[in-house]
Amino acid sequence: MVPVLDRPALGALAAIGRRALEGAVTAWAAVSLTFVALRLTGTDPVSNLLSQGLASPQQVEALRHRLGLDLPLLIQYLQFLARLLRGDLGISIYTNRPVLGVIAEQLPQTAALASCGLLISLAIGLGLGVAAGWDERGLGGRLAGGLAGLATAMPVALTGILAIWLVGLVGQRAGASEWMAALQRLLLPALVLGFASSGAVARVVQAGLRESLKAPYILAAISRGLSPGPRLLWHALRPALPPAISLIALEAAFLFGGTVVTETVFSRPGLGRLLISSILQGDYPIAQGLVILAAVVYTASYVVADVLSLVLDPRLRRTA
Amino acid sequence: MKAGVGVWLAGGWLCLAVGASLFAPLISVHGPQLPVGPALSPSAPGLPLGADALGRDFLARLLYGGRLSLWACVLASALSLIGGGLAGLAAAAVGGVIERLVLWSANSALAIPGLLLAMLLVAAMGPGLPTVVLAVGLGGTPGMARITRSIFLQLRQSSYVSAAEALGGGRRWIAVRHLLPNARPHLLSLATTNYAWAFMGITTLTFLGLAGDPSIPEWGAMLNDGRSHLFDAPHLALWPGLAIGLTILAVHTLGTWQARLRPGD
Repeated sequence: MVPVLDRPALGALAAIGRRALEGAVTAWAAVSLTFVALRLTGTDPVSNLLSQGLASPQQVEALRHRLGLDLPLLIQYLQFLARLLRGDLGISIYTNRPVLGVIAEQLPQTAALASCGLLISLAIGLGLGVAAGWDERGLGGRLAGGLAGLATAMPVALTGILAIWLVGLVGQRAGASEWMAALQRLLLPALVLGFASSGAVARVVQAGLRESLKAPYILAAISRGLSPGPRLLWHALRPALPPAISLIALEAAFLFGGTVVTETVFSRPGLGRLLISSILQGDYPIAQGLVILAAVVYTASYVVADVLSLVLDPRLRRTA
Repeated sequence: MKAGVGVWLAGGWLCLAVGASLFAPLISVHGPQLPVGPALSPSAPGLPLGADALGRDFLARLLYGGRLSLWACVLASALSLIGGGLAGLAAAAVGGVIERLVLWSANSALAIPGLLLAMLLVAAMGPGLPTVVLAVGLGGTPGMARITRSIFLQLRQSSYVSAAEALGGGRRWIAVRHLLPNARPHLLSLATTNYAWAFMGITTLTFLGLAGDPSIPEWGAMLNDGRSHLFDAPHLALWPGLAIGLTILAVHTLGTWQARLRPGD
């Protein structure tokens, strides 16, 4: 049989296309916003160098010329967009290296941290959400709900330092060892990051479970003799999963931002540390490149999340 | 809705923290800037919470730090509440081009996560505490504009607005006399959640060292300072950490309570 696109599928495709176009426009606007924010706030990025005594007036003038800062703003903006489309994010003021190269160098560290954090946040979030949604009024359910709330509310800076302190205390008692150092390098930061973003997952799973436990088909299943146990839970959980899965994409974007603090707390190299050091040094091309990257990743994640929920939940396709 | 124990505890902590930081000069003998004791000393007579790495009275720094941490967020969250609220009100009350413009710019700004937007602004204006406050305030504005718009839109569909329209009330009159007063409970609980966000944002940015001058006592910056002495002087990180954690919990507890107070929800 030749698969024929039926009308709902065509509608879904159109919805996906429209969503992708919207995403592209949003990304362009966000990128322009970074340009405007950095150029119109009054401080000339290069004059910092002069005031810090790091460059002579002639050098600053040459640098301004090289960065194109002496051109009219509109021309600068068009140049900036044209370069961006070619994947050129400019060069670092301090090291003279291409921004894209500097970012690519630090990316693997952050990607490892963020992906471990994502897995952990899904595990914790699913556990807490199921515990909180299954027995909302019971002690366990309320405890899980409270823990999920705490995960969202507490800043990563605080939980990270507490984690380092507690693990360090245990380590002192047990004698510091190599596995402890390995733990500190990846698992502990990922755990802290994952815990911070698990609250959102837990909330979505809990809300979905609450909804579907009230649905007629659950009542039907119980009246057919299904006892409230793992099988009923799976029955109720399945319709609650698509929103949670499409949340993963958004989580990925959140984790990207969360790594900034996590990397500082755990003194881990990566994009977050790069962002902070570039802000403190006034190396604006790097800061700009990172924010642009984040905006693009974030927008793309939104589009992917929407498309995922269209694919996973047939009910949405009909209305799309 | 009766206020439970949690709400009283939360309110109590906030009153205590705000009061103690306001009356810091009366409570603490020493100032926050000058070294008065041996570096990293644990609590001792005259130094109730010990001293930090430079020998400064830690209680004094915690109290004076509270002034900045607790009050800077009031400024930042007022900025996003007023800016975002006005934009949201304009969008909902006027509609048309203005509504589309507000929504579109809010959505584009939201494509950059709030904290990252704040960091971008710090990058543009240079590190410093005023910059951090401004950046966090502006970073929270787009989200606020979107939420307040949906609140006002919902209110605009109520029957008293139709009645006012039928009586010949103009758009501005309806916005000021009907929408704004009726949105007050919603805006109040929004302000609470926004305060929690601003508090977290500001302590995070100062923790990252973006407040510039390291001698300024501020809870986020102090938490970062304490990081390097976590095992020889844990009190340097734990006290500011406790203060930050309790404040966030307290504001969230009050916010949840406030949301439950709202009639009709």
